[in-house]
Amino acid sequence: MIDFLSHYIYYIGAFGLIFIGIFIILVKHNLIKVIIGISILDTGVNLFLISVGYISDGTAPIFSSPDMKAENMVDPVPQALVLTAIVIGVAVLALALSLAIKLYKHYGTLNLRKIKEMKW
Amino acid sequence: MVNPVLLIAVPLGLAFALPLFGFISKRIEKFIPVLGMSFNLVISLLLIPKAMENPIIVSIGGGKPPFYINLVAGPVGILFSLIIAVVGLLVSIYSLSYIKKGATEKYHMLYLFLLVGATGVVLTGDIFNLFVFWEILCISSYALVAYTGEKSGVESAMKYLIQGAIGSSLLLIGIGMLYGLFGTLNMADIAQNIDSVSSISIFVPLVFIITGLGVEAAVFPLNAWLPDAHSAAPSSISAILSGLAIEVGVYAIARVVFTIFGAESFFLFLCFLGLLTLLIGEMSAFSQNNLKRMLAYSSIGQIGLIVFALGIATSYGVAGGLFQIISHSLSKALLFLSVGYIIYRTSSMDISSFEGIGKKMPITSLAFTIGAFSLIGFPPFVGFPSKFLIVQAALAKGEILFVVFIAFILIGTVIEAAYFFRVVQAIYFKKEKNNSEKKEAPIAAIIPMFILALLIIGIGVYPKLVTDILDSAASEFLKRADFIRGILG
Repeated sequence: MIDFLSHYIYYIGAFGLIFIGIFIILVKHNLIKVIIGISILDTGVNLFLISVGYISDGTAPIFSSPDMKAENMVDPVPQALVLTAIVIGVAVLALALSLAIKLYKHYGTLNLRKIKEMKW
Repeated sequence: MVNPVLLIAVPLGLAFALPLFGFISKRIEKFIPVLGMSFNLVISLLLIPKAMENPIIVSIGGGKPPFYINLVAGPVGILFSLIIAVVGLLVSIYSLSYIKKGATEKYHMLYLFLLVGATGVVLTGDIFNLFVFWEILCISSYALVAYTGEKSGVESAMKYLIQGAIGSSLLLIGIGMLYGLFGTLNMADIAQNIDSVSSISIFVPLVFIITGLGVEAAVFPLNAWLPDAHSAAPSSISAILSGLAIEVGVYAIARVVFTIFGAESFFLFLCFLGLLTLLIGEMSAFSQNNLKRMLAYSSIGQIGLIVFALGIATSYGVAGGLFQIISHSLSKALLFLSVGYIIYRTSSMDISSFEGIGKKMPITSLAFTIGAFSLIGFPPFVGFPSKFLIVQAALAKGEILFVVFIAFILIGTVIEAAYFFRVVQAIYFKKEKNNSEKKEAPIAAIIPMFILALLIIGIGVYPKLVTDILDSAASEFLKRADFIRGILG
């Protein structure tokens, strides 16, 4: 059991964050909370990507001394992916917050129950 | 030889340089998108003959695939970049006169980013790079939907953003799973190794990726954002979103299902999903009184038809689906462009306020009628050969199930005809209630409408113009082995 946990703990954590994020987006009525949910979802996805390339007790993939071996290094590609994903996430969050400000100016509220000009 | 990288690099550079041009003169800003898209049009046309022979592989960074990011300009990529360049160019000409208020330089900049993102998605051969361009496309379209800053625009942009953000995250999870399974991000490399793992571990990333892409492609259960976003955006942006953005989404789904996964057991599900999307879209469109909303629902219906045609997965079926993409891009762009000025003049989106507009704005009304008839599928417009090809492909399948599917599609077409005729009737055969002065659209709006109408009739009368590239594009999708060999050597 402990063995299983220590092996998969990062995946469990990552998907936990993803589900928490989606849950917040679906359930909360406050727009800022929904945006926080998007942020948590992003973080979960980033953690998932990192754990795909992670080796326990691995080192950074830099050949700082000649006797280092590639087998002990973590995979650098997911880290590059996460860096890109973080930047994209920041852009989405910034846009979402600026839209939230605009929305507040129009409606005077951030409650999504009250913002329903348009319906299906 | 011209390098396909230029298709992405030049408009991207122009987009970033656009505010700098603003320092020289405020008036030249709006011509930059026209410049960039005419450049793309020329380059795409130059690349067609070479891409038809062999896909052009460009590696960014110099190494051979599967290492480094690579671009694949095969028949599919060039076909799509050509569509993007044509529609993008015409809509940017239209925006010259249509976009007057607000932060115009930001509009033109975001507009170029949207088109760069779309071009990047269709040309890339690396699945994470696809995600990056996808996000460029999505983020710029969120911002453009809210461009007017009105209540409805901001609200629908917010809805679009929330749903789009969830979709992108699911897509990224799927990509991460694929990387975990195969240790590579190159599409051809993944496709080569896809059979080496059990089908259940393939199924999970496939579902994540399809769900993520399906949000942007507006496939049935995931399209709640589309009617709001497409009707609240400025009409030029609605034309781009409807004519290009969702087609790019369908392209991405097709690329994932056909090339990367080769998931044959998934095709029938795709057909079913397409049919459902078609019927829901057409029936919702029928009950609308707001014209732009009606067109947005009709886009959902058309996407359903395209997905259905791709799901047939014979060479005729896929070619028909791609032909329908061309037909929908041209027709829906024309419809939104003409509707844009009709709404601008009448300042109402309600169909009843369009009564008698045919006498006041004859050219714009004619453009609307051509677009509507083309979408319904009347000869000699482009909608006829594309729909005909799809019906033919489904019947050639020879299964009773597909005959039933075709019956439903024809019912969908009848509904489509009914709601478009309602508008055309209001435009031409009803008397205007309050007689007011309404001018024709300005010349910068007439020119793109005229060219779109010309293309619709031209390709409709002589489909041979595009059938060659459609056939090779269909075989690029269906012959995975050739595609993989072409890239990995």
